[in-house]
Amino acid sequence: MSAISTQSEIVEFVRAARADRSPFEIVAGGTRRSVGRPLGELPQLDVSGLTGILKYEPEELIITAAPSTPLAEIVATLAARNQRLGFDPADWSQLLGSNGVATLAGSLSSDASGSGRLRHGPARDSLLGFHGVNGQGAAFRAGSKVVKNVTGFDLPKLVCGAFGTLCVLTEVTFRVYPRPSHFAVLALQDVTPETGFAALRKIAQSALEPAGLAYLPGNIAPGMGQGSALIRLEGASKPLEEKIALAHGLLGNAMTRLDGEDPFPAIGSGEKFARVPGDIWRVMIAPSDAPRVARELNAQAWLGDLAGGLLWLAAPSSDAARIRKIAASAQGQAMLLRASAQSRAAHGLYAPQPAALAALNRSVKAAFDPLSLFNPGRL
Amino acid sequence: MLLPVTDSRIVARRADIVAALEAIVPGGVVADKSGLATFDSDALSAYHQMPLVCVLPADRHQVSEILKYAQAEGIPIVPRGAGTSLSGGALPREDGILIGMGRMKRILEIDYENGCVVVEPGVTNLNITKAVEAQGFYYAPDPSSQIACTIGGNVAENSGGLHCLKYGLTTNNLLGVTMVLPGGEIVTLGGKCGAQGGLDLLGLVTGSEGLLGIVVEVVVKILRKAPVTRTLMASFDTVTAAGACVAAIIADGVVPAAMEFMDGRAAAAIESYNQPGYPAGAEAILIIDADGVEADVTHAISRVVAIVAESGGKTVEATDEKQRLRIWSGRKAAFAAMGKLAPDMICMDGTIPRHTLPYVLAEMEKLSQQYGLGFCNVFHAGDGNLHPLIIFDVMKEGEFERAEAFGADILRLCVKVGGVLSGEHGVGIEKRDLMTEMFSEADLDQQHRVKCAFDAQGLFNPGKVFPTLSACVEQGHMHVHGAQMPHPHLPRF
Repeated sequence: MSAISTQSEIVEFVRAARADRSPFEIVAGGTRRSVGRPLGELPQLDVSGLTGILKYEPEELIITAAPSTPLAEIVATLAARNQRLGFDPADWSQLLGSNGVATLAGSLSSDASGSGRLRHGPARDSLLGFHGVNGQGAAFRAGSKVVKNVTGFDLPKLVCGAFGTLCVLTEVTFRVYPRPSHFAVLALQDVTPETGFAALRKIAQSALEPAGLAYLPGNIAPGMGQGSALIRLEGASKPLEEKIALAHGLLGNAMTRLDGEDPFPAIGSGEKFARVPGDIWRVMIAPSDAPRVARELNAQAWLGDLAGGLLWLAAPSSDAARIRKIAASAQGQAMLLRASAQSRAAHGLYAPQPAALAALNRSVKAAFDPLSLFNPGRL
Repeated sequence: MLLPVTDSRIVARRADIVAALEAIVPGGVVADKSGLATFDSDALSAYHQMPLVCVLPADRHQVSEILKYAQAEGIPIVPRGAGTSLSGGALPREDGILIGMGRMKRILEIDYENGCVVVEPGVTNLNITKAVEAQGFYYAPDPSSQIACTIGGNVAENSGGLHCLKYGLTTNNLLGVTMVLPGGEIVTLGGKCGAQGGLDLLGLVTGSEGLLGIVVEVVVKILRKAPVTRTLMASFDTVTAAGACVAAIIADGVVPAAMEFMDGRAAAAIESYNQPGYPAGAEAILIIDADGVEADVTHAISRVVAIVAESGGKTVEATDEKQRLRIWSGRKAAFAAMGKLAPDMICMDGTIPRHTLPYVLAEMEKLSQQYGLGFCNVFHAGDGNLHPLIIFDVMKEGEFERAEAFGADILRLCVKVGGVLSGEHGVGIEKRDLMTEMFSEADLDQQHRVKCAFDAQGLFNPGKVFPTLSACVEQGHMHVHGAQMPHPHLPRF
C-alpha cells in the first residue's frame, strides 16, 4: 500500500484492519524488518511518510519529531547545536544487510542503543512522550514534552523496545543532551578478557563518566595482541585531558591514546559483525560475569561492550539453545539479532519468559492491541 | 476532593478479615484504633481516613498470600512505604487493607563490581547511600524526604530530588524490581543485566503509584561520588533575567548537578528564618551546584559565572564547605520558613517549559490576588519543576478550599503552557481530578487499560490517579468476576 503521512490516515487504516481482523506489519525505513520472529506475508502499513522535526528547543533540551524522520537528520540537527540523543542510537543497517534509511522510531522501537548509552541510558531513559494510534484505532498521547514528569503511567517506557507491537507511533519527543566538544579513545592493549574487563569496570565505577567501554579480542581488533580494552572519554578540552590523566592513574600507564577514527560506532552498531557469517547475538549480563560467560560461549567472533554488560557474538544457528542456556544461567538475556527466518521463527527474539511474566506481557500487549494487529508475534 | 464511598459490606466483615490476616502474618496486624491512627494519612495530611486494618508483612510470600486473600475476597489494597507521599498516594481506605512495607528493610546485597545494591522495599533512600558511602558511592535520586522515605515508595512515585537534571529520577536509576501482582504471582522485572527480554514493565511499574502491585525487592544503581562539588549563588533584579540566565546556561551545554530558583518572596522569608546570606532586594536567586572531576567543575563554574554576568546577575561562590552548606541550608528550609508566615501551607508540584517561567509567575501573582492568599515559589530550574508554596490558615473559614482551588489553577496554568501536573510528587488523590486537564479521554482510557492488564478487579489503590473509576473493559466486553461488577459501591467522581 502507498505511504501514509497523517495520523488520521493511520486511524482509518487501523480501524479498517480491526474491522477485518487483519494484522499488518508497520514499516518505515525497513532496516530492521529482519529482526524478531518473522511476520510472514502480511499487509504493510507504510509510515515512511511521517517525517520531519516538529519542534526543537535546544535550551529546553527537547526535540519533537515525526517518527520516521531519518536518524541521520536528527543527529545532524542536534549536532549543529552541540547536542545529541542520549541513547547513542545504533544503525543496524550494515549488520542486517539493509540499504534502507534508519529512522528515529525504528531505533527506539528496537531499543537500538549504542556504546554511548553508558552515560545517559538506553532510549527508554530519554523518550519523554509520544503520540500514537492503538489497536482500538484511537489516537492517544502519553508522557509529556518536559524533561521531568510523573503524571500518569510512564507509557513511553513501554514503547521502547516493543518492536511496534503496542501502537503505531505518530510523534515522539526526546530529551536531548549536550554533546561534549572533544573525545579521546584510550586502549589497554594485549590483555586477556579478565584483565580487560576488570579495567573497564574500574573506569565504569569511577567518576569519569565514560561514553564507551569495550573489550575486543585480538581477532576482532587486529594488531592489538590477544585483545584490547577500549575506553572512550569526553569533555571540553581541558577536562578531557584531566580525565585521561585520571584514567591513567586508575589503570597504570600502559594505555595508548588511539588516533584516527572513533572505533565505537562500529562496535555499538554491530558493524564489526557485518561480514561475519552465522547468527548474531546480543547477550546482556551483569558486567562482572563477562569474562566467564564469554569463555563459556566460546564464540569464534565476539566482543564485549558496556564494560561487559553486553556481549556481541556470532555463532552457528545450531548453537541457539546452548547460548540461551548460558545466558539464562547467568541471569541474563540473549537477543537473537541477526539470523535466518527459520532460526528466528524457532528461537524468537528473546527466550520464553517465566509463565507469570509472559502472561503479564500478553495482558499489557492486549491493553494496547487486543486483536494483535500490530507486528503480531514479533517480540 | 471527594473520598471514595466506603463499602459497608466489607467493613461488616472486619473481624474475619483481621483474623485471616493474622493467620498469614502472625503478630504483624494492626487492628486497634490507636495503632491504626498512626496510618490514617500520608504527608498530604489534609486528607485522612482510618484504614480497615493494617498489615505489616515480613517477606514476599506473606505479601503474596495477603494479595491472594484480598483478591478472593474483593477487598481493596493500599500499599504504603514510609507515608511521606505529598499527593496522598498512601491515603488509606476505610474498607481497604493497608499494607505497610516498613518491616522489609534489609539490604540484601551490595555489588560494587556491577555498581548496584539489592534491597527490600522498606529500606530508606538515605540508608542506601549510607551503606555504600564509605566506598565512595551513593544512590543518586535524593527526594527531600530521603531520611524517611523508602525505596519502595520511591519506585511507586518515581521520586526525584534536587539532582534530577543530571542524574535522572528513580526510573533512570533502577536495574530491576521483584513485585507481587494483584493475584499473588511473583514476577521479576529486569535485574543486574539491565534487560527484561520483553516489554519494559520495569519502566511502567516505576511511578505507577501503587496501582499495579507491590514491589518486594529493588535493584538500584549506585554511582561514584563526584570528586569535586562547587556551589554558586546568583541574584537577579528580575525574574525574567534569572529565567533567561537558566536557559542560557542549559543552551551553553552546562549540566549543573543542581540549579535551584527562589523568587524574592521565598528568599526574603528564608533569609529572615535562618540567615543563609541571601542578598536583600533580589527578585530571584539561583543556587547552582557543579560536580564532577576538577577541570569539568572549573569549566562549568567559569561558564556559569560568565553567563550570569551577561544576564545581569551577580554571583557569589561559596569559598568553603561551611558556606556551601549555609547557602543550601536556606533552600532546604524553604518549607519551614514559609511555615513561619502562616499556620498552614500546601506545596504544589508541576513542571513547565523553562522559558515560560516569567509568564507563569506573573499569572500566579494575579491568582494570588484573586484568591487572597500568599504564596512563593521554589523551582528546580534546571528541569522546570515548579513548587509553589501556598500559605493559608485552616482555621479561617473557606481558606483551605481557596488554597486548593488556587493550587488547582496553578496546575492548570502549568498544563496550559505546555507543562504537566506533576514533576515528582505524583497524582495520588491530590491531582486526580485534574488529570482531564492534561489528558484526553482516549489518553486516560489507554492508561486505564494498562491498569486493567495488571489489576482486572480494580482492587489496587482505587480512588487514586484516575479521575473516574470505571470497570475494566476488554475487547468491548465488561470484565466481570463472580457475576459482580467490580466495586459497584464506588462513585464515579
